Amino acid sequence: MVFMATSASKDKEVIGKLEGLGKQMLTQIDGEESPSFTAPLRSKGNVFYDQGTGYIRLGEKEETRKFVNVGQARKFMQTVAIANKCKKFLAENAHTSIRGLFYQLKFSLGEDLDEELFSEQSESNPLIEDLEVALSLKREDLNLNTDRKGVVAGPMVLRDTFGGRETVIDCKKQGRSGWMIPSDVDNGMVIEELEADYVLVVEKDAMWQRLNEDQFWKKENCVLITPKGQASRGCRRLIRRLASKKLPVYVFTDCDAWGWYIYWAIKTGSMNLAYLGRDIATPEARFLGVTMQDIQDYDFLGQLTIKAKDVDIKRAEEMLSYEWINRHPEWAKELKTVLTTKKKIEQDALQGPRLSFVGDYVREKIKKKKFLP
Amino acid sequence: MASDTDKIFSEFKEHSVAEFFKKNKQMLGFSGKTRSLTTIVHEYVTNSLDAAEEAGILPEITVKIDEIDKEKYRVLVQDNGPGIPKKHIGKALGQMLAGTKFHRFAQQRGQQGIGASGCTMYAQITTGKPVKFVSEYDSKKLSGEVTVDVKTNSPLVNYSEEAENPEKHHGLFVDGEFAECKYDRSSFGVYEYVKRTALANPHATITLIEPSGERMAYPRSHDQIPKKPTPVQPHPLGITTNDIIEMAHHEPEFTRISSFLQNRFARVSAAKVQELAAVIPDVDLNKKPGELTWPEAEKMVKAFAQVKWMAPATDCVRPIGKEQIEKSLRNILNPSFISVTERSPKIYKGGIAFMVEAALAYGGTAGKRIGDTTGGDIIRYANGAPLLFDTAGCAITESVKEIEWKRYHIRNFEEEPISVLVNVASVYVPYTSAGKQAISQEEEVYMEIKNAVMEAARDLQRHLSGLHREKDRANRRAAVMRYVKQLSKDLTDLANKGKADELNKKLSHLIETKYMGQIEDGENEAEGSGGNGKGGKNDEEDEKEE
Repeated sequence: MVFMATSASKDKEVIGKLEGLGKQMLTQIDGEESPSFTAPLRSKGNVFYDQGTGYIRLGEKEETRKFVNVGQARKFMQTVAIANKCKKFLAENAHTSIRGLFYQLKFSLGEDLDEELFSEQSESNPLIEDLEVALSLKREDLNLNTDRKGVVAGPMVLRDTFGGRETVIDCKKQGRSGWMIPSDVDNGMVIEELEADYVLVVEKDAMWQRLNEDQFWKKENCVLITPKGQASRGCRRLIRRLASKKLPVYVFTDCDAWGWYIYWAIKTGSMNLAYLGRDIATPEARFLGVTMQDIQDYDFLGQLTIKAKDVDIKRAEEMLSYEWINRHPEWAKELKTVLTTKKKIEQDALQGPRLSFVGDYVREKIKKKKFLP
Repeated sequence: MASDTDKIFSEFKEHSVAEFFKKNKQMLGFSGKTRSLTTIVHEYVTNSLDAAEEAGILPEITVKIDEIDKEKYRVLVQDNGPGIPKKHIGKALGQMLAGTKFHRFAQQRGQQGIGASGCTMYAQITTGKPVKFVSEYDSKKLSGEVTVDVKTNSPLVNYSEEAENPEKHHGLFVDGEFAECKYDRSSFGVYEYVKRTALANPHATITLIEPSGERMAYPRSHDQIPKKPTPVQPHPLGITTNDIIEMAHHEPEFTRISSFLQNRFARVSAAKVQELAAVIPDVDLNKKPGELTWPEAEKMVKAFAQVKWMAPATDCVRPIGKEQIEKSLRNILNPSFISVTERSPKIYKGGIAFMVEAALAYGGTAGKRIGDTTGGDIIRYANGAPLLFDTAGCAITESVKEIEWKRYHIRNFEEEPISVLVNVASVYVPYTSAGKQAISQEEEVYMEIKNAVMEAARDLQRHLSGLHREKDRANRRAAVMRYVKQLSKDLTDLANKGKADELNKKLSHLIETKYMGQIEDGENEAEGSGGNGKGGKNDEEDEKEE
């Protein structure tokens, strides 16, 4: 997983998998059997936290969908249609979004039938996930893009062979904007140089801009990433790849349930993306701040708390119920503090004393190893 | 009973017969304009049926209604019966008979109404015209007209022609004009009456020519003349105090009550009289029947209930017949399904035999039509005579409505093409009133009707669930089949193997095999339990707003 194959050979492999799925169905039909499609179940009952590896993954339960079954026929046909369409994208080396795919497949099934292959995107989205999980692929492998989100800067050079053209991306030379993380950081994307000591993920773009302006990544020799809120698949995947290069990963978010949730999604993966399991989880990640404890440690923060919103409270309660979170007493304590004080602190508050205090704060935390697990 | 009304008639003077008729019009079936016309047709048609059957002739009856004026109609009825000889014709058409044929204790149609003479009377009262007739019998042909002499309640007949009838035609033709009538196709009208009469008399051919000129023909579907009803003696358990008094006071030939009981009632033996005497020692069974007092008769009726009697004979009950009903329904309603019950006679009030025949017809022209909508129809009969009036409160209507039709795959009785036919046959049909248009809700009768209809409904349910299954299978087949074309295209493309056309055939075959088979595999057809991943377009990106 460390070094990805080149784009072309990877595409060939995926096409092979898709064709294999089709051939298997044809074999079933020749055996006078209904063609079927089996995929691990993605419902909550089949989602587990794997304590040994530290990420959320799917269990063993599987679902088989048959064509000759009234309740499943339409979905079955749709799944095959998606598989076939993706195979075409791969053959043509063209990419689209899941919405683009939906529009490609939104057509009438025939003049005599008052029915479309797909009429809502909500029909195609889960079937894409079914294909991903059944074939052990990510949608990016099927040439389906997700929205790009997240920015990176730091001592890292990437070689991108997207669209058959080679581009070298030097993340040290991205100026004030940084390099926007694409939806697919695997296919046709090679990390050529990486001389950082660690990875710093900051929740907010504003913080990233602060630290970038302070040349923090250059001074500290780190890769500076902002997912701009919840981390996208591409962003999470990049963090995973960097962690695999033995770089420590520190996450720095608001001191509230939402910020912490962003951390946990990066660390353990999430229930919705459990089917991607270890490919997007970074159990090695550590939480740097902001913490409730910081209010004790930094006097000025006491003045800068704001009232927690209902959503914060709700999310805190929910997180307390997750075994992979509440098994850490430090985290249980943090969350309970949110519930009792009903307060939160934003990262931005660290600019309180002076703008560059943020950098000092991060430096001190790393030096003193003041992390939460 | 008969004697009372006889007395009433004899006591009336002069115009009293007409007076009596007018006063009791309602009770005699002449209430409401539509109903009056139906009653007229009913009187003639039942007479025709009874006469033909008695003579062993398969009945053929034609009824023609002409509209002369507003609410004024001409009714013409021709039958192929034995005709009426000269000496009886006046009495048959022109003398008001008091009471009914009830005293015969035999099951007959003509228990309702007041006979053809009542129609003559009605014509006289409403139009002032006599009723014309042509009677062909033996080798005679007799034509004329008849009125009722209201002073003496005797017939006045004017013969216009008396001819030979060498071809030995036989039959009776009547032709009268009646006012205060109305012809319509409502459920109380002549149209419905004729149809229902035809349904219950599959051995008869009945034709109705409506005022519009439209001809409704109901040809016979069965050519066996029903057996003649056998007169029977009353059973002690079917008798009221009044009945005993009536009978006892008209039996001068018996010197003792005990012999009157033994000779006039069914299942009463000398031994049973002794048993009875032991229960009512204070009633002298050796005195003359004429001396029986009301309190004594009352005690006797109570005592009857305490003695164990042999059940009354049931052979006096004359059903329409399972085969006959079935043929008739098929003939007239052309339904897709018929179910007819065949049940043994039952007893009500502790001793009166009755028998319920129930039939269901589904599809075809079954059910009643109101405008464009079809609804469940209840076709009621008592001894094969249609009951058109007093629908509410009739044991048949009530028990049919009481049934939970959903259990039998009839989602809403009021909206399905279904006809429920019920005939209650008995020497003593328990009518609700003198109008004899509804059956009273005697518990045993009510329950037996309900059970009979439910029995027929169970057959219907089996039929309908079979239809449902077949339809369901066809639906399922079609539901999957519609996706074959697209899948074949995509799948051959995806696998990069085979041809879409060929795959199309294979898949179609696969689906046919599965959904044509009598036995479906036990596969759970429910929606797959999985595949419910959330799959928002941005995955979790929406979860936090920045």
